[in-house]
Amino acid sequence: MKTIRQLMMALALLLPLVAANAASMTYTLQVDGLACPFCAYGIEKKLSSIKGVAKVDVDIKHGLVVVTMTEGAELSEQLARDKVKDAGFTLRSFSRIP
Amino acid sequence: MRKPVLIRPVTEAAKWSHRGAIMLTVLFSGTVWAHDPIFGLGPHVLYKGGVEVHLDAERDKAGSHREDAAAVELTYGLTGDWAAGIELPYARMEEGSASASGRGDISVFTKYRFWRHDTLGVQESTAVLLKAKTDTGDDNAMPALGTGTTDTILGLTYGYESIRWYRWASLRYRHNGGNDAGLRRGDKVLFDLVGGWRPTPPSYYEPDTVWLLELNGEYGRRAELNGADLANTGGTEWFLSPGIFWTQRNFAVKAGIQIPIASALNGNQQKTDYRAKLALEWHL
Repeated sequence: MKTIRQLMMALALLLPLVAANAASMTYTLQVDGLACPFCAYGIEKKLSSIKGVAKVDVDIKHGLVVVTMTEGAELSEQLARDKVKDAGFTLRSFSRIP
Repeated sequence: MRKPVLIRPVTEAAKWSHRGAIMLTVLFSGTVWAHDPIFGLGPHVLYKGGVEVHLDAERDKAGSHREDAAAVELTYGLTGDWAAGIELPYARMEEGSASASGRGDISVFTKYRFWRHDTLGVQESTAVLLKAKTDTGDDNAMPALGTGTTDTILGLTYGYESIRWYRWASLRYRHNGGNDAGLRRGDKVLFDLVGGWRPTPPSYYEPDTVWLLELNGEYGRRAELNGADLANTGGTEWFLSPGIFWTQRNFAVKAGIQIPIASALNGNQQKTDYRAKLALEWHL
């Protein structure tokens, strides 16, 4: 009985997280010019400053930047392009991960 | 009225006799930026709104002359391609048995990256640098901690940076002003060719190391005292300079040493034994 109660509690805790992840949008930015981690820090700084951005992941080797938004927030391509430019790089492509 | 004017040039001439007015021109002209060479100039700037805090320590040894300097540099990113900042140096000089320490000459600088070509994993760019060294150091100390002049530096640089290889080329011209005593250090031309190699592919969250090898050339015109050339000043020096650039995310450590490989200094001057530089840098 105790085990069932514990499982129910864990499920109750996990459900909102699962729901939030399902509702949050993720975008993939192909960024040209990314050649070193120290320089790429500017990308993280600029994109993280956008309202609604929950997480920024940078993959230097493949020139990819993955931006995860908070629930309900969206990222426009133009805003992403501007922020990448402010960081000193060039946005080649922008796509939303389904 | 003329007596102090006559006395001071003699003092100044003696002050500069050993190194021919070369030393100070070098030590306070080495603004280092982000992923740029240690001694040369690269086209890196800073992201818009970013702040770079840079701590720098240098040693310049030439015969009986030793010069140590530490500096704090603060840089601000005006746009993604344009940055400006200020350099606040603290210097310690030794000339034989005499030594002095205190505030060096403050500099202000700006760099504009006017061309950039980005492709996957590669950034090529060209930038121009303008730097002004003010007359704010203690030039009455013996040896002098400041030059007593306002100098300007104009630089042009090209850089190619990829995930594996780096290369830079730069040219700088330094125009030195004259001081109250009629001494004008000779203008300088600095030329740099730099290669860099990253042994392991970078990962954003892991420490990253780049090895550098620089070829630095310096040509200095003769200094003038009241319009007359000083014989033991000016000339050419070439250096081979290995260095390392280690970073972890927004923190960097840079270190390098300039080893003289050739020199043609005018008259009787002490040749450079070595120059070393260590820098810590944060991007905020």
